[in-house]
Amino acid sequence: MNKIMTRFGEVEYDPRNTLQFPKGLIGFEGLREFIVMPNIKDGPLFWIQSIDDPQIAFVLTEPTNFFLDYRVAPDETERSFLGISEKDDCYVLSVVTVHAGGKVTLNLMAPILFAPASNRAMQVILEKTSYTTKHPLPEVA
Amino acid sequence: MLVLTRKAGEGIVIGDNIKLTIVEIKGGGIRIGIDAPQDMKIYRQEVYDRICAENKEATQWNLADLNSLLTASLAKEDR
Repeated sequence: MNKIMTRFGEVEYDPRNTLQFPKGLIGFEGLREFIVMPNIKDGPLFWIQSIDDPQIAFVLTEPTNFFLDYRVAPDETERSFLGISEKDDCYVLSVVTVHAGGKVTLNLMAPILFAPASNRAMQVILEKTSYTTKHPLPEVA
Repeated sequence: MLVLTRKAGEGIVIGDNIKLTIVEIKGGGIRIGIDAPQDMKIYRQEVYDRICAENKEATQWNLADLNSLLTASLAKEDR
């Protein structure tokens, strides 16, 4: 087990289980390796902690929890980057922004593709879409 | 930065596999054709910048906010 000191306190992790972003996230190209933090409580949100920069962590969620028809599939280039074939699973995750006052938006324009088979992930940009970087959660009736 | 002057119909070749062509110049806009390999991602600068800004903003959260959000979402499910 390894340990890092983050702004949330000391975190212990198994270096064999880290999530790899071989190109980083957009604007954070130097951050290649993250720890997936277990849910503190049950719920749709979890977070990933950068190993390269202990100050940086992102809240993520599965957007289909909120947007049932949201679909993103990796193209051939993306699959080869993730090291998976067409048969392998590829999960789609969204970066969550928690605004002052507790309002939450999802970045549906730049989802994260995650391949469990290789533990690799990448952030992609959907240019031809009506989804935005600050998509509010749907109103619960 | 390399700065080149081009007329409509003229082009620029970058490396072995990228070709830019100035398709049309009209008003304040310039239409650019891009020939590049399929696996090369091409983005409008402002879209790319917006994603960078959103990612930066998304790092600004604290554990207390997340905890209260999770508690709130749990409460909803309980109802």
